[in-house]
Amino acid sequence: MVSRWMVISLVILYGFLLGPFIIIFMASFGANANLAFPPQGFTLDWFANVFETSQFIDSFWISLQLALLSTIVSLIMGIPVAYALVRFDFAASGLVETVFSAPILVPGLVIGFAMLNFFVLLGDMHVMTGLFIGHTAILFPYSVRVISASLRNLDPYVEDAAVSLGANRLRGFLLVVLPNMQAGIAAAFVLGFITSFNNVPVSLFLSGPGVTTLPVSMLSYLEYYFDPTIAALSTLLVIFTVVLVQTAERLLGLSQFV
Amino acid sequence: MIRRPNQTRTIILLVSPAFIFVLVFFVLPLIFLLSQSVLPEDGGFTLTGYVDFFQSRVSRIVYLRTLKLGLIVTGICVLMSYPAAFVLARMPARRRSFLMSLVILPLMTNAVARTFAWLIILGRRGMVNQTLLSLDLVENPVRFIFTETAIVLGLTQLFLPLMVLPLVSAMENIPADVLEAARSLGANRLTTFIRIVVPLSSDGLVLGATLVFTGSVTAFVTPAILGGSRLLLMSTLLRQKAVILFDQHAAAVVAVVMILTTLAVNLLLRLLRVRQV
Repeated sequence: MVSRWMVISLVILYGFLLGPFIIIFMASFGANANLAFPPQGFTLDWFANVFETSQFIDSFWISLQLALLSTIVSLIMGIPVAYALVRFDFAASGLVETVFSAPILVPGLVIGFAMLNFFVLLGDMHVMTGLFIGHTAILFPYSVRVISASLRNLDPYVEDAAVSLGANRLRGFLLVVLPNMQAGIAAAFVLGFITSFNNVPVSLFLSGPGVTTLPVSMLSYLEYYFDPTIAALSTLLVIFTVVLVQTAERLLGLSQFV
Repeated sequence: MIRRPNQTRTIILLVSPAFIFVLVFFVLPLIFLLSQSVLPEDGGFTLTGYVDFFQSRVSRIVYLRTLKLGLIVTGICVLMSYPAAFVLARMPARRRSFLMSLVILPLMTNAVARTFAWLIILGRRGMVNQTLLSLDLVENPVRFIFTETAIVLGLTQLFLPLMVLPLVSAMENIPADVLEAARSLGANRLTTFIRIVVPLSSDGLVLGATLVFTGSVTAFVTPAILGGSRLLLMSTLLRQKAVILFDQHAAAVVAVVMILTTLAVNLLLRLLRVRQV
C-alpha cells in the first residue's frame, strides 16, 4: 500500500519542516554579515555577539523565571481540577472543561492586549505580574488536559484501597495518586515550560520598559538589525529544545500527550 | 467513581482556586475588551466601531486577506500531510516515534527563530534569489519578502505539525484488514486511499484544519516579519491600531472580530465532527 509517491511525500514534508533549521544552522556560522546565501567562511562571532548583547541575556532570565513560575502555578492549581474532572461525576463538569479550554480558543495576541488594557493601563499593575498572569492562564488548558490523561490511566481502586486501609482522602492523594502521576506531571511541566518560554503573542503587549521576554526581544532586534546573530541565538535555542524534548521523550514518551 | 455525601464541597474546593483565577484574570479582561469596543471613551453604547471597521476599505481588505491566506495555508497543509501521515501511521512503532519527534521538534522552537529562516531563504541575497541569478533566470533580485507568498510559506512551516499529528493518530486507528479487504476487492491504491483512508481519518482532518486555520488567522510573528506594515493581517493591524495609532477603541474592535472569527470556525468545525460521528 505504501507507494513510491508516498515516500516522496514524506521526504517533502520533512524537507519543509526541517530545512529551515538547517539553513539557520549554516547561517549562524557564516562570516558575511548580510546573510547572503551560501554563507562564506566560518566564524563564531555571532555566538559571541549573542552573549554580549545584554538585551538577550536579560530577557533570557526573564523568560526562564516566567516559564518556571507560570508552569508551576498552573500545575498546582490545575492538578486539583484534573482530579475533580476525572474522579467525580458532576453536573457542572462540562462548564468547568469549557472554562479551562477557553484560553486556547482566544488568540494569544488578544489575550495580551486585553490584559494590558485592563490590568496595566487601568489597574496600574506591574508588567511582570501581567506577564505571569497571562502565561499562567494560557497554560491551564495544557496542564489540565495532560494531567487528566495521566489520571485516567490510573486505576481508581488503588486509591480506594489506600483509603480503606485507613488513610484519609488527602493522604491517599498525596501518598498514592501523586507518585503514580509523576510521568504525567513531568510531561505537563515540559510542555508548559516550552509553551511559555516560546510565547510571543501574549507577551508582546505585556512587555514593558526593561521587562521583555526572549522571543519578543528577538523580534524587536530584527526590526533594527539584519545579521546572523538571530541565527546563532536560534541555533542555541534549538539545541536547548532538542536536549529538553529528547530527554523528556526518552523518559516519558512525551508525544502521546501532545 | 467516588460517590460520597460531601462530594460537592470537595469538588468546589478542588476546582475553585483555578476557576476564580481564570474568571478574574482571563474572563474579566475580555469582558472589559468587549465593553471597550462598544463604549468609546467619550460617549455611550454604540456599534460605530464595528460599522467603521467593515466600511473601511483597508480593514476589509486586511480581514479578507487574513481569511484567504488562512484557507490557502490550511489547504497546503492538508495536501502535504495526508500522504505523509498515512506512511507514518503504517510504520513500525520505533521508527514512527523517532519520526514523530522530528515533527514535534519545530513546534517546540519559537516562531521568531522559525520565521527568520525564511528571511535567509527569500531575502534579496537569499537562497532563492542567488539560484535564480546564477541560472540567469532573472536579472535583478526578485522581492519575495513582504509578499503573500512569503507569509503563506512561513505559516505553512509553522503549522504543518498541527495537521500531521491529528492525522497520524486518526490513521493509526484504521485497521490494516480494512485496507487489505478493499485491495482484494479490486480497488487500486488511489481508490483505496480516497474511498477508505480519507473518510476514516476525517476526524483528524477536521481537528487539524481547525488548529491550522485558527492558528494562521491569529498568528502574529510570521506576518510581522514577512509582511510588515506593507502587508497587514488582522494581528498586525491590531498591533498597529493599538501601538502606533494609539486608537484603543478601534484596536478593541479588531480584537473582538478576531475572537469571533476563531470562535465561529471552532464551532462550525466542531459541528462537522459531531455530525460525522
